Amino acid sequence: MFVKDLAAISPQATHDLKFESGNFHDIKSKRYLAIEPNYLEFIPANLLRRMGRAVRMGIGAGLPLIQRNKKVDGIIIGSANGGLEDCIHFLNQIVDYNEGTLTPTNFVQSTPNALAGQLALMSKNTCYNMTHTNGSLAFENSLLDGFLFLENQHEACDVLIGAVEEISEYNYNIDFLAGRYKNEEVRNSKLLSSHSEGTICGEGATMFIVSNTKENALAEIVDVAQVTTNDYNILKTITQEFLKKNELVLEMIDLLILGMNGDVRTDVWYKEFHEVLFQDKPVLTFKNLVGEYRTASAFGMYLGIRVLSGKLKNVEAISEEVTENVKYILIYNHFDGIRHGLTLLKKIADKE
Amino acid sequence: MVKVFITGIGSISSIGLNVQECLKSLREGKTGIGRTNFFQSKYTETLYFAEIPLSDLSLKQRLNVVNEKHFTRTTLIALSAFQEAIEDAKLSSNDLTDFSTGLISSSTVGGMCYTDHLYTDANLTSAPSEFVKSYEGSDHTLQIVQRYGMTGFTDTINTACSSSANAILLGAKLIKSGRAKRVIVGGADCLAKYTVNGFNSLRILSEFPCKPFDNNRDGLTLGEGAAYLVLESEEVVGDKYKYAEVAGCGNANDAFHPSATSDDAVGPVTAMNLALNSAGLTPDRIDYINAHGTGTPNNDLTESVAFEHVFQNVPPFNSTKSFTGHTLAASGALEAIFSLLSIKYSELYPSLQCDSPLIGFNFKPIDQYTTGVTINHVMSNSFGFGGNCTSIILSKCS
Repeated sequence: MFVKDLAAISPQATHDLKFESGNFHDIKSKRYLAIEPNYLEFIPANLLRRMGRAVRMGIGAGLPLIQRNKKVDGIIIGSANGGLEDCIHFLNQIVDYNEGTLTPTNFVQSTPNALAGQLALMSKNTCYNMTHTNGSLAFENSLLDGFLFLENQHEACDVLIGAVEEISEYNYNIDFLAGRYKNEEVRNSKLLSSHSEGTICGEGATMFIVSNTKENALAEIVDVAQVTTNDYNILKTITQEFLKKNELVLEMIDLLILGMNGDVRTDVWYKEFHEVLFQDKPVLTFKNLVGEYRTASAFGMYLGIRVLSGKLKNVEAISEEVTENVKYILIYNHFDGIRHGLTLLKKIADKE
Repeated sequence: MVKVFITGIGSISSIGLNVQECLKSLREGKTGIGRTNFFQSKYTETLYFAEIPLSDLSLKQRLNVVNEKHFTRTTLIALSAFQEAIEDAKLSSNDLTDFSTGLISSSTVGGMCYTDHLYTDANLTSAPSEFVKSYEGSDHTLQIVQRYGMTGFTDTINTACSSSANAILLGAKLIKSGRAKRVIVGGADCLAKYTVNGFNSLRILSEFPCKPFDNNRDGLTLGEGAAYLVLESEEVVGDKYKYAEVAGCGNANDAFHPSATSDDAVGPVTAMNLALNSAGLTPDRIDYINAHGTGTPNNDLTESVAFEHVFQNVPPFNSTKSFTGHTLAASGALEAIFSLLSIKYSELYPSLQCDSPLIGFNFKPIDQYTTGVTINHVMSNSFGFGGNCTSIILSKCS
């Protein structure tokens, strides 16, 4: 399937495309917060007030895409946690007021589902609507859902596929207790060389218009794969099978986009993946741009599409290794060294 | 197009700890709605619930996982139904670890079912609890995948009350596309203070056992449950018993309101018509509908309007939520299993608590246990908050 359009709200200046023209945002913090646009341009104030961060960012990135691409035949969202801030705010009220009379202001039964529902509602879109919450594979699951949906269509179809995750005080605390974050402020430019345990959390909404037609495409998403394992050999087998299935050999991959997050305990997976399978291949990383979150691989894909469509000026600001002659990109991301996702991107040939 | 068959089923709900027990309750018209013994909430004194009659510890003992401290109730009931389904389909451990076997689960409350532990962890008010890594919506899926060493495709869906219906839809599509040969699909949701207080704040819980499709219905009854179905492609099904074929699925969004369905039932009608189209069936071929039928004034009216739009003559229908309460993410898969029982035994189960059928419609739910009725094609509906509407069609194998 083919990417026609994309948008991101992230800790980099992607909302106004300054990132694309070479602006690298250096952040020193324990949390890499997204730079949010002025939503009032397209979200009515009364609606905006009631939206949590995740929904707000998701609408902010997704709604303009739906509006400028007219015919959108499906909305597919991946989000491990959805709007946790509201969710736990409501939960706190339950405990603090001992299940007293509560207002539904902060209650959403399925917070990850709220974004796909709200996007449909605001764009009056009654088409296919789906939300995947499979932790760090939620975005990869959404891509596969996109393939399944588009393959079954007899006509030209476009779908919105995206991912969102927010930083809230609560999910930060939970993941901090679980040992996932560093205890000190780390500059994002130094995150990957921090040589300590844990990472820095990030957030964002990343959205794509994906189509079954090639016309005006920015890049092709060739295929997606995933595996849940703690055995490196299984990952290796899956990767080899994945490329074979797509009639590629390891040498044909021109660029790797890897999910390194600066946690010495789990970055070894990427090191091994790179050194054993793809020696000497150039590498682009993205968590030094946006931090770690469950659906961060969507930002990895955003970056890949920008590279393939030649829209990223001064790539050397984030990587010295990227050349202009990139045809195939393989994205590899994992979380906790348990859930692993692979996405294969291809450049649209100039003459075809 | 590759056919997708259902070769195994497993369920746990307030009306039974396995499929056989659920079947017995359905036949006897015995509801699972009542007062609770295990769920702790202020509302257990004033509201009715449909609780699985086992404590967390009993569930753990029954599954032989007493030492798995981080397993939540969602994970425990999911494991129970999952295990029954794979045994029913006679899947070997090699079948389960095969790259071509997938799991698509679903849950709305997920790992956030222990409100009080979550409170202390999220607010850093004490040392980390044993559940600190278990709060994700997909935690139960991960626990199953790791326990059985599954390496194939895994997914978790959360589209509110249509979640596990969408798991069935996606599993069938995955097999039809050739990307998997076998997918276990379903969902699990347990009673939680979060859900109870949330639904209560929306004022959609009844003070009485829910009365689907009754004029005096005034809200839903929350239940808990888990249900899984084993879907297999015709390529690997062999001579196994086939409960039915997943003949068609439809999904659409109502795009009307975050927590209500539209008066003209756009979403439900579209989902039902898409399901009929994909099954290649005309509406008159449907022998029975397992309705979403929550018992809220809004849902049952909208769904009745949708029936009128889609069917010239509305086939027999019931809401088995009058037995199990609303099991949220699990309801689509649980109700698909009840539909399969109707197909298998050529019988229909009554819809309980409907004393005065909806005025203005010339149809009413099934009022008694009926045997000797051939059921070839079933439609099962699930509609969720956020406007998510899904309809599934299951067809008897000839």
